[in-house]
Amino acid sequence: MGSSAEAYAPEIMPLSLCDFPGEPAIVIFFSGCNYRCGYCQNWKIREQDRSHLTRIDRIERLLEGGKLINACKVTGGEPLLQPEALMRIAKKAKSLGYKFGIDTNGTLPERLRGMLPMLDLVSIDVKTALNDFEYRKVTGVDNPMVDRVIESIRIALASSAFVDLRMVVIPGVNDSLEVVRSIGLDLNSMGYGEKASAGGASFTLVEFVPENAGSREYSMMRNPSVEELARLARAAPLRNVRISHRALGYCVSVEKIQL
Amino acid sequence: MTEVIINGKLPPPVRRSDGVIVPFNKDLIVKSLLKETQLVKELYNERPLTEAEARVIADEVQDEILGMRLKMLSGPLIREIVNVKLLEHGFAKQRNVYTRVGMPLYEVYKIDNSDGYESRENANLQPNPETFHKKKADFLSKESYLLMIPSHIADAHLRGDIHLHDLEYWGTRPFCQDWDLRYFFYYGLMPDGTGTHTSVAGPAKHAEVAILHAAKVLGAAQTNFAGGQGFFNFTVFMAPYLKDFDAKRLHQTAQMFLYEMTQLYVARGGQPVFSSIQIESGVPKVWQDAPVVSHGKKWPDLRYGDLEDTVHAFAVALLEEYLKGDAMGKMFNFPKPEVVQRARYWDDKEFEDVMLRAAELSAKFGSTYYDNMIPAYRGGEDGVSCFQCCAYSFSEDGKSENFQKKVMFEDGAHFSMGGMQVVTVNLPRVAYKSGGDEARLLEVLKSTMDIAKEALMLKKATIKRQFERGLIPFASQRPRGAPPAVDIDNLSLTIGFVGMNELVQHMTGYEIHEDPSAQKLALKVLIEMDKIRKSYSEETGEKFSIARTPAESAAQRFAVADLIHYPKFARDLVKGDLEKGLSLLNETKDVPVYYSNGAHVNVAAQLPLDQRLLIEQRFFPILKGGDIFHVWLGEANPDPEALMKLNMRLAKQSWVGYWSHTKDITVCRDCGYVGGGLNSSCPTCGSASVRNYSRITGYYQDVSSWNAAKRQELKDRYRVRLS
Repeated sequence: MGSSAEAYAPEIMPLSLCDFPGEPAIVIFFSGCNYRCGYCQNWKIREQDRSHLTRIDRIERLLEGGKLINACKVTGGEPLLQPEALMRIAKKAKSLGYKFGIDTNGTLPERLRGMLPMLDLVSIDVKTALNDFEYRKVTGVDNPMVDRVIESIRIALASSAFVDLRMVVIPGVNDSLEVVRSIGLDLNSMGYGEKASAGGASFTLVEFVPENAGSREYSMMRNPSVEELARLARAAPLRNVRISHRALGYCVSVEKIQL
Repeated sequence: MTEVIINGKLPPPVRRSDGVIVPFNKDLIVKSLLKETQLVKELYNERPLTEAEARVIADEVQDEILGMRLKMLSGPLIREIVNVKLLEHGFAKQRNVYTRVGMPLYEVYKIDNSDGYESRENANLQPNPETFHKKKADFLSKESYLLMIPSHIADAHLRGDIHLHDLEYWGTRPFCQDWDLRYFFYYGLMPDGTGTHTSVAGPAKHAEVAILHAAKVLGAAQTNFAGGQGFFNFTVFMAPYLKDFDAKRLHQTAQMFLYEMTQLYVARGGQPVFSSIQIESGVPKVWQDAPVVSHGKKWPDLRYGDLEDTVHAFAVALLEEYLKGDAMGKMFNFPKPEVVQRARYWDDKEFEDVMLRAAELSAKFGSTYYDNMIPAYRGGEDGVSCFQCCAYSFSEDGKSENFQKKVMFEDGAHFSMGGMQVVTVNLPRVAYKSGGDEARLLEVLKSTMDIAKEALMLKKATIKRQFERGLIPFASQRPRGAPPAVDIDNLSLTIGFVGMNELVQHMTGYEIHEDPSAQKLALKVLIEMDKIRKSYSEETGEKFSIARTPAESAAQRFAVADLIHYPKFARDLVKGDLEKGLSLLNETKDVPVYYSNGAHVNVAAQLPLDQRLLIEQRFFPILKGGDIFHVWLGEANPDPEALMKLNMRLAKQSWVGYWSHTKDITVCRDCGYVGGGLNSSCPTCGSASVRNYSRITGYYQDVSSWNAAKRQELKDRYRVRLS
């Protein structure tokens, strides 16, 4: 760990138009992750390295200088692995009137609970069907802690933040109708349905992009088509399902897709 | 027919270029010299040859030929020998007008095979038989105009001090025009301008006819103009024809126009018309109380303000049709949609649908252009102005002469905004010549601009003469005694520039984005340019303006010229792949080096967008002749709502008058995939038969047709997101 004045934040994107729904945002990448997903597009920052250390006050200056942004998002890696740094950035962002959000894999529910008052957006990865057997296949770790992921989803859905549950669809790995149906049932039992009806949650199926994958095995795979994503989206017994695919131009809700 | 050469004393017969073979006759040389060198008087005000001088030349030519032991002679060959004799006798100007123009047969062959430098000068020209013909004609025209204009101007162009744009049309066409649709809805349509070669249509009475007339106006206009053609206030002036339409018919009408403008593949040697339309979401203040002009009449009790709902609905329909794309799902690259930004369109939630569609179109295809009227320098709500074509800007402020008459369409008075000609100054060259001294820099700047001004005044005089003789007939048409469609005296004389970034880099050691001293100098140079411009306007009474040049080929040409003439300096400053550029330079001038456009920051600068904005927005108020702020999107999937909020900030909180988001796009020819990013194979079916599209300077085109410098620039662009 670096000193409290620093964070492992190897990359900062001053303006992104696709990381915070509806808002131009600054995106800060924290390094270090407790999963080893083969498809990860940010695999280069999976391990923390001294060269990643960035002074937090530098990040705060960047936030103050942002002329075109409405929001700030911390992604990774797993941002909740550096809770103090995350809190400092969150406070700064909120004090400047920005919306604040994080991407998380859901394995640190207690830290998530601590952050919730600061969060306008929680984006939680749903890797595959919510059980250890399926999760192990995707996350590359022996103990994927799915019970903790479920707890995180529960906490988030009960909060006032907007919750986006995101699943990267990898053909041959997690793209079966059974997987999507089981996720749907689980999410609804955790209160997804009510929150989504009130416009507070979405479930997004994201195109897997082999070119960006970290592992050789995954980089040899193919990406799913829009049709495949739409088929899965329709099979999920969920409201407010969206699809993100390069061929669509941007994230669209499944009702809008004409095939 | 054959002629026998008798005892070697007679020259061989002559194969003339008009298709006959005749015996050699030196009197014909004398005759042609006397006739053709008259042009010296007309073009340069110098004296033609006297008969005695012509006879001396002809005698020497005959002797020369006899000594050559030729079996056959041709007219062109004799002419070249005459030219040599003219030069030997010191008649350089006379040689200029006596010479032939044309191109080596090898180049003609290459053009027919769609190869060589000329094949990529203008990415909008795709290979087809019409294009090959145009290329040859262009070559001949360019060469002849360089001989006809005063040699110091021609030399300045050839050396790369300045660039005369669209040189092939120098003597025949003005540059660009934004048309007032009311004129045609009142007087009807004569595509040839006279009604003798085409049928004459009365004013449109139905929406479909109005749309077709609008498309044909731009098509016909393109035959008279070198550059872009557009309609300002398009949605407002179309509205009277669409009054009671439901959404379905509005969409149908909008779709018709987009297909007409992208399928009329006939302009200038087989390309679509370079077109743009200004999309207002509502009725601007100036037009609220103006009488509606349509169906051949001025309506006594109908004001444009009464049609605001139709204008609004038509704007939405147009943008939704753009969003759909063509039958393949591909974007419509023309007419360029110029979506107007006004405070009212952002503050009144009612217009959010237009702003959101515009953002969706940016997110999907990058095609939207934002024409921002909010910054004070745009003239506010009391004037009329537009950006068009390659981001040139034209305006008339509310206090100008006859402004109100034009708004009221009194006696056919109407707006005619456009450009006469653009001449671009090579700013890095100005810096090299200054020897690094700032005072000297401003002197060289002035003397270079003086040449540009002289060229522009010459162009104006040439085109005005053509106009008055009825040789630009669509522009000069006067149906039923109406005022001419184009006000030829109102066209801007534009001085453009390339490479402000490299100028300051040479002077200060820093690129524009690297140090405040560099920005300060850039501003200082721009202010000086504007001062000089003003003095030109006052001196001549003409509309001079300063603009950032799109410089699709000039940014490359200047860089190449400086690598030849100022290698010591240019090697350090040109952008792109210098090593490759130098290695190719002896074979081709299409090499991957360039200067930065206008006063833009180096496209490769690793600079956050807001930082670049802070720098580039300061130049907009000075560059009233036009500028553009580029947002190079790195995302494959930008969120339209986030993009809309970014637009709102740019519109309301910046000085940027014109911007666009450029999204790189891949289209698969096999499966029809259209998506973000530059992929060399299809992400869906894996086919290698893909085409990449991006914005070249001011419009979208297939990347494979770009010149090497622009393809290099595309690689170098620093995008909002690098993934």
